[in-house]
Amino acid sequence: MSEHTELGKQHIGLPGYLGVFAVLVVGTILTYTVATIDMDRIFPGCNTLVALLIAFTKMACVMLFFMHVRWSPRLIWLAAIASFFWLAIMFAYTMQDYLTRSQGVFTSN
Amino acid sequence: MAHGASDKFVYHEPGLQHQFEDMGQQEESVSIGMWMFLVQEIMFFGGLFTAYLVYRSKYPMAFAAGSNHLDAFWGGFNTLVLIVSSLTMALTVFFAQRSNRPMQLVMIVLTMIFGATFLGVKAIEYTDKYNHGLIPVQGWNKRTPAAAEHGSGPARPCWEVAHGEEHQYVNPRGEFVWTDCSLAKLAQNENILTTAERAQYLSNGQPDANKFRDKVRIFFYLYFVMTGLHALHMIVGLGLMLWLLWTAWKGYYTSEYYMPVEMSGLYWHFVDIVWIFLFPLLYLLGRHFIHAGG
Repeated sequence: MSEHTELGKQHIGLPGYLGVFAVLVVGTILTYTVATIDMDRIFPGCNTLVALLIAFTKMACVMLFFMHVRWSPRLIWLAAIASFFWLAIMFAYTMQDYLTRSQGVFTSN
Repeated sequence: MAHGASDKFVYHEPGLQHQFEDMGQQEESVSIGMWMFLVQEIMFFGGLFTAYLVYRSKYPMAFAAGSNHLDAFWGGFNTLVLIVSSLTMALTVFFAQRSNRPMQLVMIVLTMIFGATFLGVKAIEYTDKYNHGLIPVQGWNKRTPAAAEHGSGPARPCWEVAHGEEHQYVNPRGEFVWTDCSLAKLAQNENILTTAERAQYLSNGQPDANKFRDKVRIFFYLYFVMTGLHALHMIVGLGLMLWLLWTAWKGYYTSEYYMPVEMSGLYWHFVDIVWIFLFPLLYLLGRHFIHAGG
């Protein structure tokens, strides 16, 4: 077990941390820039999709390297991934109700 | 630790607490405990993200209009501030692992400074919302009495409210105020309003100022609850940092034992991740309509 502790101390080192930081800053600037471009013309919701893709990439960087999930035991991976799985279930089951409700059109607007 | 007569000298690592077999087991147990806490925090914020999903899918243009009124510069600035604080937090762990006490202290102080900067910017933004009647609770906004010459001009349709003009309003009881429905008109002209939106925004075929205001108000309600809960987490995080600073000052953390630093780091990074999602979802969702005059 002591090798686990030794391994834990290596992580990615100072240049690695600065590299991850640089990726996060670039992601932030990118998400701001693309938000001003009207990509909804490509398909509705494209702007939101791209914003979420960037956010998920940034989150993956923070979790893997800053939170050291990359070097963590499988059980930590399981906890992290399972939480998003449950979140997806909550979103999906909620929306299956809301998206299939009456559209509420009772007038001739 | 009490040593009974029968105790032989048994070597164990100085940071090992007696209920654990070895350092590896101790570190895994502590990490899993912290991750279980973070998982329930994800569900905690998840409820709010679900509410956001439900209402944004119902009233996308009202959300875009409300979002465009937030200050994306301050939002982006705060995102960068939190990312820098995440870096200094990661480096706190890095230096704790190397028993470097002075650099640990420097990094903790820097993390606290950036955390406090974030909250300061948040206070500026909340004040701005108060001054502009954007807090979705009646009576919690700055009041503009009816006595002034406001409203003396000819009544205009709500989609022709010029930029800057939306600040001239009357809310003698501190009501939530929203006078601009140009984005609803734009979406109507481009035929991108959903059936539900047409029923909920329009009266007699034209955008209705009161109907639209109530939908924008839902956005601001979610904005305040989500960012408010996040800010509360930042305050708790600053408390943690204060405790870390005290214990690190006393030299508790070395390469032998630094788990409290690592666990506080997990919490801090989690709060950063929540903001990574809040920034685009609250501040940027309607930016691409601005060029169109929305």
